[in-house]
Amino acid sequence: MKQIFYERLIQYILENQDRFYRVAYSYTRNQEDALDVVQSAVCKALEAHESVKNADAIKTWFYRILINECLAVLKKRKRILLTSDNPGREEVYYEKSYEQDDDLEKELDRLELDVQGIIKLRFFEELSLKEISCITGLNLNTVKTKLYRGLKQLKENIQEADIWGN
Amino acid sequence: MGKLETMKERYDQITIPEELNFRIQQEIQKSRNQQEEKRRSDSSHRLKRVIHSVEAAAAAICILFTAALNTSPVFAKEAGQLPVIGGLARILTFRSYETEKDDIAVSVEIPTIEMITEDTGIPVDEINQEILALCNQYADEALVRAEEYRSAYMETGGTPEEWAEHKIKITVGYEIKKQNNDYLSFVVRGTENWTNANNELKYYNLDLRTGKMVTLKDLLGSDYVELVNESIKEQIAERQKSGEVFFTAEEGGFAGISEDTKFYINENNRPVIVYEQYEIAPGSSGEITFEITGGN
Repeated sequence: MKQIFYERLIQYILENQDRFYRVAYSYTRNQEDALDVVQSAVCKALEAHESVKNADAIKTWFYRILINECLAVLKKRKRILLTSDNPGREEVYYEKSYEQDDDLEKELDRLELDVQGIIKLRFFEELSLKEISCITGLNLNTVKTKLYRGLKQLKENIQEADIWGN
Repeated sequence: MGKLETMKERYDQITIPEELNFRIQQEIQKSRNQQEEKRRSDSSHRLKRVIHSVEAAAAAICILFTAALNTSPVFAKEAGQLPVIGGLARILTFRSYETEKDDIAVSVEIPTIEMITEDTGIPVDEINQEILALCNQYADEALVRAEEYRSAYMETGGTPEEWAEHKIKITVGYEIKKQNNDYLSFVVRGTENWTNANNELKYYNLDLRTGKMVTLKDLLGSDYVELVNESIKEQIAERQKSGEVFFTAEEGGFAGISEDTKFYINENNRPVIVYEQYEIAPGSSGEITFEITGGN
């Protein structure tokens, strides 16, 4: 049974690696960090595969690990930002992301991390609200509220940016 | 909110670095090794406890086994199929899967070399990594070609039903040619059933004693080029007598081997030179092989 789950997990990882990378990249906006995030998420999932009780929850379980890895990298980065006297770091973090105008992504990055996460999972990864609730550990209603509030804020921010831009 | 759609579009276009798959494979391999080790140490603990009580019996079986190996050809043959007795290394299917989308069937069977004896100095990981990359790349590229074929077919008025009739299939797999204590010889093959133009074959001939890929020079000595060319010309002449058709030199027929000439090692430990379909003869002849005898 455990063996079967292990093989299924590997299969799942191999088939969805591109998605994992996109999630990681959308948080880190940097290739090296995104690769690191995916790799360590895979490592942790494989190490912990025996602790999974519900084999059907493989998707939400893996996403939870992945998102946690993303947040860990951002947290570490913030610490470096605060402690280091090199102010150039922040610039790299934003500017290298997209080739085109990346205003939209910047606006998204300005939202709170958990709200960002919900929007990404819902619209980019096209997960259901229920799945998002499993991944984030928030209850369904909270997920909904945060999602709508986030979208509203995003809309306002973008309009604001448009006004300033034109 | 059209902006979200723009964002989603850009999100989907995030380029996936090639390194990603490699790093993930690395993790998986690492984890597999750990699992293997764990299983082995679990079973060896169990084994130790048992061994004390049945040591004598085990010794007796050992003697029986050796005696049987030497006396019964059937027994020896069967023992050869037991992995540990069969050789230093063997080929296993690392991963196999079948998918179907848009009536394009994909069947993939990826081989991997497993070392039975440790510390042979053979860079198994590297070779396995290469095989895996080769198989995945072929499957991916073939799928793109099939999709292109499909859209071209549809654009020129084909219907989905007619397309389904084509029974398009992409196959990636392997075939073991020789597997013993001396050599591991196998071919990894990618084919598309609607065209031969993109077939890909890669032969692996591993010398288990040296841990290196075998070359024709290793097998046949430094005069291997002349030796092989001579032998192939003779064999072609002979086959022509019995009615087989080969391209002439002007038509792009056999013009001597080169360093990259493909070969495998057969049951008799002899090298067999392989020419793919259409390479030196009309397509109806299929793949053409020449066993090379003589040399060292």
